[in-house]
Amino acid sequence: MAGGYVPGVLGSFAHIDAAIATITALRAKGHRDLTIYYSHPNHELEEAAGHGVSPVRRVTLLAGMTGTCAAFGMQIWMNRDWPLVVGGKPPIAVPSMVVIGFELTVLVAALSTLAAVVIFSLLFRAKGRVVYHERFSDDRIGVFVPATGAQAREYQALMQANGAVEVQHVEG
Amino acid sequence: MATSIVDLPTGHTPYPPITQTHADVTRDVVGTLSPPGKGYLALLAAAVACFVIGAATFLFMVFKGLGYAGYQPPIFWSVFITTFVFWVGIGHAGTLISAILYLFRSPWRTAVYRSTEAMTVFAVMTAGLFPIIHIGRQWIFYWLLPYPNARYLWPNFKSPLMWDVFAIGTYLTVSSCFLIFGLVPDVAAIRDKVTGWRKWLYTRLAFGWQGTDNQWRHYSRAYLYLAALCAPLVLSVHSVVSWDFASSLIPGWHGTIFAPYFVAGAIYSGIGMVLTLLIPLRKALKIEHMITEYHFDNMAKLTLLTGTILFYAYGMEYFVAWYSGNTFEQTTFWRRAFGPEWWGGWTMIVCNAFVSQLLWFRKIRTNLTALFVISIFINLGMWFERWVIIQSLSNDFIPYAWDSMNPTWVDWFIFLGSCGWFSMWFLLFAKNFPIVAIQEIKEFIPMPRKSGAAHGGHH
Amino acid sequence: MSESPQQPMNRRRFLTVVGASGAGAAVLSGCSTEKVQKLVPYLVQSEDQIPGLATYYASTCTECAASCGVHVRTREGRAIKLEGNPDNPISRGRLCARGQAGLQGLYNPDRVRTPMRKEGGAWKAITWDEAIKLLAERFGAAGAGLRIVAGQARGTLTGLMNRVAQAQGGALVRWEAFDRDAERAANQRTFGRGDLATYEFGEARYILSVGADFLETWGSPLEQARGFAQSHGFRDGAMARHVYVGPRMNLTAMNADEWLAPRPGTEVAFVLGVAHAVVARRGGDPRLQAAVATFTPGAVAQATGLAAADIERVAGEFAAAAPSLAVAGGIGAQYPNAVELCAAVNLLNLAAGNIGTTVRFGADPDAREGYAAIRRLQEEMAGGAVTAVLFHEANPVYALPASARFGEALAKVPFKVSTALVLDETAAQCDLLIPNHHALERWDDAAPRAGTFALMQPVMQPVFTTMHTGDVLLKVAQAIGGASAAAASAPSFEALVRATWQQLAAAQKAGDFEAFWRAALQRGGHYAAAPVQPVSLASAQVDATPAALGDGEFVFTAYPTSMLHDGRGTNRPWLVENADPVTKVTWHHWVEVSPATAKRLDVREGEIVRLASAAGTLEGPVYVFPGIRDDVVAVPLGWGHTEYGRYAAGRGANALDLLAAPAGPALPYVTTVGVTKVRNAFRALAKTEGNPRQLGRHIAEAMPLEHAAAGYTIKQSWEKLGNPEHEVNTEAELQAIEGFEEAFAAARELGNYAGEQPMWGLAVDLAKCTGCSACVTACYAENNIPVVGEEEVLRGREMTWIRIERYWEGGTDGQPVEGRVVPMMCQHCDAAPCEPVCPVYAAYHTPDGLNGQVYNRCVGTRYCANNCPYKVRYFNWKAYNWQAFPEPLDLQLNPDVTVRARGVMEKCTFCVQRIREAQHRAKLEGRPLRDGEFTVACAQACPSDALVFGDMHDPESRVRSLKQSPRGYHVLELLNVRPAVTYLAKVNHRPAPAAAAGHGAEESH
Repeated sequence: MAGGYVPGVLGSFAHIDAAIATITALRAKGHRDLTIYYSHPNHELEEAAGHGVSPVRRVTLLAGMTGTCAAFGMQIWMNRDWPLVVGGKPPIAVPSMVVIGFELTVLVAALSTLAAVVIFSLLFRAKGRVVYHERFSDDRIGVFVPATGAQAREYQALMQANGAVEVQHVEG
Repeated sequence: MATSIVDLPTGHTPYPPITQTHADVTRDVVGTLSPPGKGYLALLAAAVACFVIGAATFLFMVFKGLGYAGYQPPIFWSVFITTFVFWVGIGHAGTLISAILYLFRSPWRTAVYRSTEAMTVFAVMTAGLFPIIHIGRQWIFYWLLPYPNARYLWPNFKSPLMWDVFAIGTYLTVSSCFLIFGLVPDVAAIRDKVTGWRKWLYTRLAFGWQGTDNQWRHYSRAYLYLAALCAPLVLSVHSVVSWDFASSLIPGWHGTIFAPYFVAGAIYSGIGMVLTLLIPLRKALKIEHMITEYHFDNMAKLTLLTGTILFYAYGMEYFVAWYSGNTFEQTTFWRRAFGPEWWGGWTMIVCNAFVSQLLWFRKIRTNLTALFVISIFINLGMWFERWVIIQSLSNDFIPYAWDSMNPTWVDWFIFLGSCGWFSMWFLLFAKNFPIVAIQEIKEFIPMPRKSGAAHGGHH
Repeated sequence: MSESPQQPMNRRRFLTVVGASGAGAAVLSGCSTEKVQKLVPYLVQSEDQIPGLATYYASTCTECAASCGVHVRTREGRAIKLEGNPDNPISRGRLCARGQAGLQGLYNPDRVRTPMRKEGGAWKAITWDEAIKLLAERFGAAGAGLRIVAGQARGTLTGLMNRVAQAQGGALVRWEAFDRDAERAANQRTFGRGDLATYEFGEARYILSVGADFLETWGSPLEQARGFAQSHGFRDGAMARHVYVGPRMNLTAMNADEWLAPRPGTEVAFVLGVAHAVVARRGGDPRLQAAVATFTPGAVAQATGLAAADIERVAGEFAAAAPSLAVAGGIGAQYPNAVELCAAVNLLNLAAGNIGTTVRFGADPDAREGYAAIRRLQEEMAGGAVTAVLFHEANPVYALPASARFGEALAKVPFKVSTALVLDETAAQCDLLIPNHHALERWDDAAPRAGTFALMQPVMQPVFTTMHTGDVLLKVAQAIGGASAAAASAPSFEALVRATWQQLAAAQKAGDFEAFWRAALQRGGHYAAAPVQPVSLASAQVDATPAALGDGEFVFTAYPTSMLHDGRGTNRPWLVENADPVTKVTWHHWVEVSPATAKRLDVREGEIVRLASAAGTLEGPVYVFPGIRDDVVAVPLGWGHTEYGRYAAGRGANALDLLAAPAGPALPYVTTVGVTKVRNAFRALAKTEGNPRQLGRHIAEAMPLEHAAAGYTIKQSWEKLGNPEHEVNTEAELQAIEGFEEAFAAARELGNYAGEQPMWGLAVDLAKCTGCSACVTACYAENNIPVVGEEEVLRGREMTWIRIERYWEGGTDGQPVEGRVVPMMCQHCDAAPCEPVCPVYAAYHTPDGLNGQVYNRCVGTRYCANNCPYKVRYFNWKAYNWQAFPEPLDLQLNPDVTVRARGVMEKCTFCVQRIREAQHRAKLEGRPLRDGEFTVACAQACPSDALVFGDMHDPESRVRSLKQSPRGYHVLELLNVRPAVTYLAKVNHRPAPAAAAGHGAEESH
């Protein structure tokens, strides 16, 4: 493997219970900087990884509300900017604004949610490049723990003990 | 996904048959991307050809005038709006299956939602063209957008057409995002399997997806919310489209039943199109073991439900027209059934209300040939539904002004072009992206355990 | 942007005006517009040309023999509109469709642009000098063989022609297609004088028309329409009754309270039957009594096939009414025994004491032979006696039946000349074309009747290098020299006209000629009272034997339409696309058959039938027409030109082909034919009509006279007739209306909308409207409306901002057929459904209550048109603005009105350009706008004053008072869109009130 990777130990597991055992063990040692690879959403692994609920939800909510306000604000202001009478209706006719209000709510909320995911999941990663293996997107589970020297060797042993199919020690 | 559908409703046969391993799934799906055969290329060529014909016709019309299409006042909207509503409607099934059924934890959606979602996006892309095609001065269609302009004039938000601009715009944006978003992990999986230019391509399309715990965590949550946001769109978009008609005062349009009636129709037509597309597709891509009778049975049930709602809506329209004592409504509906264009009305009723009732029989629901034939009828019927609705214009308040619809080659070529445009995108998608959601299928297949609890195992 | 409510003189409009006026200046600077290529600015501005302001000239209409006075609206040196001359006793400020279309004669793209000579069958342009030289040679040599055929020419020019012809020993032949020869002959017989009477329709309390289409082509239609509206339009609880007797329902019959269709050719007996009743009541000259003695109701019923009761009733009513009026002599009912019919009518009027009251003699100075004269000419030509002939405003090759063999005879004449403006059938056979100036380009005068002297003056430079025929004749006469030179010597024809008017001034005891002359120019002529001359019975002889029509299965009548007249209107797109008022067909001829006959012959509309008579055959598409006897088929005249320009040539067939041209005082337009269906032949008729029945939708309302007189409202009238009207009743409906009121009030608070505003509105009195469609042409002219052509009309794409909808009532289950007309234009609703649906505010409401349509803003979603319940919005499907105005027709375009581009919606603007012009004039003069100081184009044209426009907020305005009439109603009132147009229900003066409409939703296609 090319250099420039975060030094540490990467274990590749075929069995979910093996992977979970390893993760639990490493977290017990106080590691919050694990990187766990898996090919599809999985409860057990997520629990093992022990993350809280994603902050995305707040973004969605706020963005949605912004959208609603923006929609009504826009329509009210634009109707006042050059008031024209059509069909004898009052220029600021609230019922006619509901549809656009709803659509912009959804639009802004959806786009912001996407943006949030990109930001949260791509930017706030462990610093530097963490080594990755192609089978992780197929049928393997990967557990990477940053470590060097003796500690690295210890974790290597741990993973093998836990039944990793393959363990790789990444030098800095 | 975090709040996932792994825990099947009790009594449900787990699906797909768990004889597969995760590796198999990846392999099979990646297999669908194998270099295309002659048949595929021929189809693609045909689609592109149709699209080119349509585009050329459109240009002709832009330079020579709408007059070459078959408009006959008082029918100021004709085949173009008919086709617009047709394609918008098609879209809805996709979102229903991918978003609403997702929220309802309906397991059978997994195998089919990707293809239907793609269909949605392409259908809406097609529909989106028509408002522009149909206006008198296509070159200034952007005047409908609220942007600061030299005319110091903002658009009229009281116009249902403005609602349309926002509804369709939002729908297209959000459903495309939903599709692409769902694709990312799968694209990553393919990236890790292929080589050459594809590697290069998918590496970029995967947006650096590695499936780390952190990514999955936000991803799952976000997917849930996107689904939650898409769900109401299924109901809203076609309601808004229906208000283009319902908020006018034309007899035959001016009905409170329109929104639900249109939404049901949209889903009905959408699933019709799904059937038309999937039945051949699963054979062509050799994924019969992933998309099976089980799915078609369920989709057929959905068709039956919406078809029956339509049946009711049609009946109700006629009843209300009669019961209202409103002579204008009465005349319109009388002529819809027995007027000079009676055939349109009856095509609609037979194809939608009657044909859908065949699906009460399980034998038919699970007979793919029958389903395919029925789906063709559905597409036809739903196009005619819109045609018939538009036709209400031909006999409204002032008898002196009455006329009948009379499309020309321009209308038909542009309609053909829209079919070409849609098929082109769908074919390209089917051959270049996973038509089945790898990661979601995998969810159904328990990970192997050292303790040997689960079967499977690895090579 | 004259359609926007902002003040019209903004920068863009200013530039257009200056540009246009530049062109105007160039025109004025004295060469024909063909040569003008660039805009020339005013260096020295002529004082009567103010850029942007119209100049009006008084002149006289030459489209038919009536000679109405017109005002010519010119802008920057171009005539852009013809309007009625209020000073003129004939037109009284109104103008019919044909008259207004005169402009398209002036700017017709097919006009002969230079003198031309036929060489080897091909036309070759020559100079005027060559032409005059040639004429002098040939006319000089012609001697007694010289004939001048003058159609309309009257006044000074006729005199000149007469002198020129006679100086050579030749003769002047006076003939026009629809000359009222039969009447002249009948008057000769009955009263011993061969001139025509004038008829006072306005004073008659009972009008009996026996085949006289007095609202279309017979007599002086515009004037008669005005009179008809006066007497027959509902006023102070009373109105005259109008009964029409004839084989088919023409526009005049459609406006009658009762249409009687006796066996064709037996009308004489019917008239004498009525006279019988009158004489029985009032006595009279013994010769008269003797003449009518035997015509008891029973006998007449026997002869005519009408019910004795009807005859008795009509006769009784006619006898009781005083003054009454009976007229005959219409072309459509000109039987071989036309003279007998007119004589019978003379007796009837005499017996009823109408002579001198509603029938006035001594007004027509212009006695002539007409048909007899042209037949004699034909014989002379055939006999080779004619060596040179000049045709002026006459087209006998087309307007005489082929069986008259006029063309063949003409071919025998060695030298043939035509002054025709457009190459017509006769001109095509000539050797030399010397195109005359159009009436608007020349000096001319006319004396349509005693006491009325009409003047014509050039209002603009000639469009082409044409020359006044008068001047040509003068030059030719001088060139010939001798007697001719002596007979016709004047520096110019203008001088000749002035000379005539000098004599007139002297005769009228006018002191200062210059003042007299200037006044005449300003008022379009000199109008003096005409003394009524007493006439007495010369002979009561009438032969009541039915007309001998022939032995064909069907009676055939060729009838003139109000649009095409004798076919002279067929090259005017405005007239060809302006639907026939009765059948609503455009651009082609048709064959009328009754529904029963259609069933019997197994033909549907548009299927081709072949009519064969002794004289010839004719094919045409069927039009199933409830207003015609089962044993009669009819074909309109005016179609089937072989020449006469792009709009006319090759369109349809000429109904005259079926007629024989026997000797006699008048040409019979009725004969008999056999009818056969042509298999698998079809031609869709370009009708502007969709469904001919109003399905009980209260669009064209009518109420019986008793109800109107009792002051019932429409709704009360419907109650009485047992058709209760839909009442606003539900809670929701009431709330909706309340909500509308509030919203509307709120809307009225806003910036531009706040404060005192006028509220423009229109009132349409259906009791006066005859459906003549003059308003439609006026709208075409005023608002630059394009003519779209037959193919587009077939797709229902005609652009008529105002259209006349014609609905049939009755005709089923024994009820009489009633045709109702309703002018339909943008209703400028307060709660306009078209406005809120426009995404770009192209349709919006102006502060003064107009439904504005901003073309530049329109992107063409066409939602507004869908949502318009009245279907009065029109879309530019193609670049009509490029196709509809071939040069020089574009010179007619009104600079105040945008010419709409492809892809935008357009509609009636209530002539907003006129509103703004008037408002600004008032502002400049620092005074409030006066009611009636201006009006919209349609209302201005309406001969019967059925349309009234004004400010509904002005308590004094006429429109406001009309809107409060109990007869007033809104079309589709139940939609609550608050139209600014109020219709006043038609009033039917029927013997027994017939229940109208109420056909529910059954098919009536």
